[in-house]
Amino acid sequence: MTGKVGAWPFVRLKLRLTANGLRGRSTRIALFVLGVVFAGFFAIAGYSSFAIPGVLDSLFAAESALPLGGATLILGWLFLPLVFFGVDESLDPARFALLPLPRRTLITGLFAAALAGLPALATLAASAGMVDTVARLGGPAAAAAQAVGILLGLLLCVAVSRAVTSAFATALRSRRSRDLAAISLALLAAAIGPLQLAALAGAQRADWDTVAAVSRVVAWTPLGAPYSLGLDVAAGRAWQVPLKLLISLAAIAALLWWWSRTVESAMVGIAGASSRRTSTSTRSPVDLLLFRRAPRTRFGALVSREIRYWWRDAKRRANLITFSVAALFLPISLAVSASAPGGMTIFVGVLAALALANQFGFDGTAYAANITTGVPGRLEINSRALAHAIYTIPMLLATAVLITLLSGNPARLPGTLGLLLAAYGVGLGLVLPLSIRAAYALPDTPNPFAMSSGGGATKGFLALGVLLAGVLISLPLQVISLFIAPIWLWIGLPVGIAYGTAAYLIGSNVAATQLDKRMPELLTAITPNR
Amino acid sequence: MSLRGLVKRFETKLAVAGVSLEVPAGSFYGLLGPNGAGKTTTLSMAVGLLRPDEGRAFLLGYDVWTDPVAAKSRLGVLPDGVRLFDRLTGPELLAYHGLLRGMDAATVDQRARELLEVLELGAGNRTLVVDYSAGMKKKIGLACALLHAPRLLVLDEPFEAVDPVSAALIRDILQRYVAGGGTVVFSSHVMEIVERLCDHVAIMSSGVLRLHGTLAEVRGDKSLEEVFVQVVGGRVATGSELAWL
Repeated sequence: MTGKVGAWPFVRLKLRLTANGLRGRSTRIALFVLGVVFAGFFAIAGYSSFAIPGVLDSLFAAESALPLGGATLILGWLFLPLVFFGVDESLDPARFALLPLPRRTLITGLFAAALAGLPALATLAASAGMVDTVARLGGPAAAAAQAVGILLGLLLCVAVSRAVTSAFATALRSRRSRDLAAISLALLAAAIGPLQLAALAGAQRADWDTVAAVSRVVAWTPLGAPYSLGLDVAAGRAWQVPLKLLISLAAIAALLWWWSRTVESAMVGIAGASSRRTSTSTRSPVDLLLFRRAPRTRFGALVSREIRYWWRDAKRRANLITFSVAALFLPISLAVSASAPGGMTIFVGVLAALALANQFGFDGTAYAANITTGVPGRLEINSRALAHAIYTIPMLLATAVLITLLSGNPARLPGTLGLLLAAYGVGLGLVLPLSIRAAYALPDTPNPFAMSSGGGATKGFLALGVLLAGVLISLPLQVISLFIAPIWLWIGLPVGIAYGTAAYLIGSNVAATQLDKRMPELLTAITPNR
Repeated sequence: MSLRGLVKRFETKLAVAGVSLEVPAGSFYGLLGPNGAGKTTTLSMAVGLLRPDEGRAFLLGYDVWTDPVAAKSRLGVLPDGVRLFDRLTGPELLAYHGLLRGMDAATVDQRARELLEVLELGAGNRTLVVDYSAGMKKKIGLACALLHAPRLLVLDEPFEAVDPVSAALIRDILQRYVAGGGTVVFSSHVMEIVERLCDHVAIMSSGVLRLHGTLAEVRGDKSLEEVFVQVVGGRVATGSELAWL
């Protein structure tokens, strides 16, 4: 009866859930196909780039490129889920809480299921280009070593993304550690800086010796170790292979152990509700809800609730924190890499609006309250945008100050802020209609990065599309600002505000009209399947 | 409330197959049915949360789907399986609902305090609704539905997960509300409550209204449970299976 459970049932369950999620839903199938196309594109592009050193027959190039490329893959797996995609949590650990599964079985199973997905497949296919290169340089023995290496690398990629998202989910849940979590997220993001610096500086100055030096160091870290196994054989340093094998395996084991710890706390976290302060207050209910200067109307109530929700809801808070980190980190990283820190201005502005892309999905079925009380579309949209702007505009101001400080020209502050606000307005204009037409349900788990199957792809494509379109629409302004730089100092802020406001008005108008027509459909779209 | 030929399909499954129901004003109407009978789907269509494929729904004479503002302003709803804005505290949530209903702040404060006291939720309680027990969530949901003194209340499973003391309290509130001229429609699968409270009953199964009328008409000389089992069908006892249990 209680036979040993392997990892295979988990994989089957994951595939079955994915298939059932697609059944009879044409938009989801279309997205899935798009996902397959993108994954295929990524696999081919990755494979060919990693195969180049082999085609060039240059061991030096290979030794520079492969460990660094592998490190980029692992860092991508670390950051992309946090910032853009979320993690596919169709296998929610909490669902297994009541089954008599030893922790080891559960973790192996969930890990295996995480490997059975498009991203992992695409990564494996891309890194297979490294085996190609090593085979050309060092023959079959080296190729075999590299094949082992890329498999280990894939395990490392998946383990790192699972462990880190799970740890952040745990940390962001509790009041005490969420500030700590924000800071460590910032530090993590900052850690990518030196690497990027090396890559960009190396590329710009064509200083391949520096790159090679960095690459040699990276090859001894868990980031590069698995990807340099075959190279060591090819270069006649086979004695290094066992050491690097040990580094990789130890890193995987450590990550899985870390993951299992946080998974366990997530599983228990659902059963035992957190105890919050239960102090009482003598203020009247309306005063408790509304902020001091909010009008005592429907609009005031909507905005106040939204403001409280951006902070109290872990999913929204995670969004705000990741944006804040990105907004401060992008200009710094550009400045460090010696290019103009203003280059990312409109990107940051559009990125700010992205948090609203699934704003109704955050609420889930709670949105029903606004339908039964008959909140008109325009009021709904405007109040939500205002609440988000109250958090975002100070952040954009900070970014503008940072950019001007880094570029050493304080007079450019109003112009830069103008560009940021214009891009934010354009982003909102794009995102608001999408938040109604392309809303999707978020799973009812406490993990703010969790996605139901298919959700990650939707979120990723929406984000990419909005970023691209937003940057394109804001680009004319940036170009103008460069052409008439002296005048832009003076007119930048008002023109930027006007541009952003116009874009916002158009977008919010479309969104309000659509919302008035589609409230019940929207509610259905954001209701999680039970 | 008047429902005329409501139909809802989910993908291929017919969830509600043409439900027509007249709820007389001032009645206490119980909608009975086994799990999955389409009660929630029907009530969702009636209050404007789910667009019907066919049919119309009138609340106090106003069509929910063509004149939503007029219909919704006279209606209080307690949906089931729908979350509240549960990252607010109880008082905040009530204030939110009151202001959304366009009530003035002083009235909201006064009524919200009274409701919180009567329902024993505590007018100064700073606990977030997400940390409430299931019964407390039902009570705060009911308070939100009552706050603007609607003429029609639609409650989906108002007694589920509620302890006996709170259930008695809710019963008392609802009976007073009906005595004052209000209309209550609620769904349940607990026969005792329906038999005790309602003057009208409808029984649904598999998306079809099987039987409806006054309690006396539907019940006849049997108990409501007997009628229900007879109408809905299905098995109520085990035979030789489960011997290992």
